[in-house]
Amino acid sequence: MGPCTRSAIAACTLLAAAVPLAAQGGGTPTAIVVSGPDVGRQAPDFTLPWASKDGVGPADAGYQLWRDRGKTVVIAFYPRDFTSGCTAEMRTFAEQYDSLFGPEVVVVGISTDSVETHARFASSLNLPFRLLSDPNQKVAAKYGSKGEGYARRTVYVVGPKGDVTYRNLQFNSLDPKHYQDLAGAVRSARGG
Amino acid sequence: MRVGFPLRNLRRLGNSVCVAALTTGFLIRPAALPAQEAGIAVGARAPAVVVHDLDGNPVDIGRFIGKKPVLLEFWATWCERCEELLPRVRAAHAEFGDRVEFFGVNVAVNQTPDRVKRWVADNKPPFTTLYDDQGTSTRAYSAPTTSYVVVVDRAGKVAYTGTGGTQDISAVLRAVTDR
Repeated sequence: MGPCTRSAIAACTLLAAAVPLAAQGGGTPTAIVVSGPDVGRQAPDFTLPWASKDGVGPADAGYQLWRDRGKTVVIAFYPRDFTSGCTAEMRTFAEQYDSLFGPEVVVVGISTDSVETHARFASSLNLPFRLLSDPNQKVAAKYGSKGEGYARRTVYVVGPKGDVTYRNLQFNSLDPKHYQDLAGAVRSARGG
Repeated sequence: MRVGFPLRNLRRLGNSVCVAALTTGFLIRPAALPAQEAGIAVGARAPAVVVHDLDGNPVDIGRFIGKKPVLLEFWATWCERCEELLPRVRAAHAEFGDRVEFFGVNVAVNQTPDRVKRWVADNKPPFTTLYDDQGTSTRAYSAPTTSYVVVVDRAGKVAYTGTGGTQDISAVLRAVTDR
């Protein structure tokens, strides 16, 4: 098999350059275990360290979901900073912020990346929202978004009363319909 | 072992893949991609979907599936890797354009038709440009990211999937057209 042996190919997984996707084991249908809160259920509370385009947030002042009670909150779990699918999603959130979310809506992205990496990623895309670090996927597990090493790409909308008003457990960063559905869900949660 | 490409050709590409892994700095710790990020399975029958062009006219990709090899690239004007890949797509089109149908599917996320039209006019890509404003082909082909390339053989089966700016498109099409 030449120099790129099976072990090397395994080590090449998630290579952002040229990699046949199916050589990464892709394409095999995988059952998805859904265990996150369904629509109408209370969104599990959590506290996580955060970063924004302006840098890393204070270590003693993590993001706490309950503090945004009374607002509409969009929680977006995603696999990895600086990867192309996640860049597409976060860039779209940033550049279409007004039409997707509007004012008075809190958006947070959550992945396993460190807050330092988050700060670089947020700065590179000029993100107008915070990115939270969930390295052990404890919060992702509460939201049915835990993956093998990386969070799965999902979105939740949490209404002002703290209940889940919308979720997409198969969010596709390239699917315009998913963004339209999300925008509609946010409008509904805001009462408009 | 599942591969997205016939093994004899993966041998040919092996060096470049490994070198790319070592030199690009994009190597991240090995882990399984979330299933939703994996793309359509190699060997699957290619979905025959209808996608609009930039003027809103329906284009039936199924007219070509099973009749000649088809290349689909999912792209966007903001995709740096797509820009990096473009010369390779041009080179592949110059060599195989008479035997392979080339489609560039703009994913219509964070895009407008006018912006895409301007980009197409400026860059003159070597493919038929589609604008998937309904996400039909994105879902059908499980496109996980831009720069995602799917090659369908003349039997109508997915022969290759891959992402990134350094994909050796010509080698892929050589293998498909040699069959």
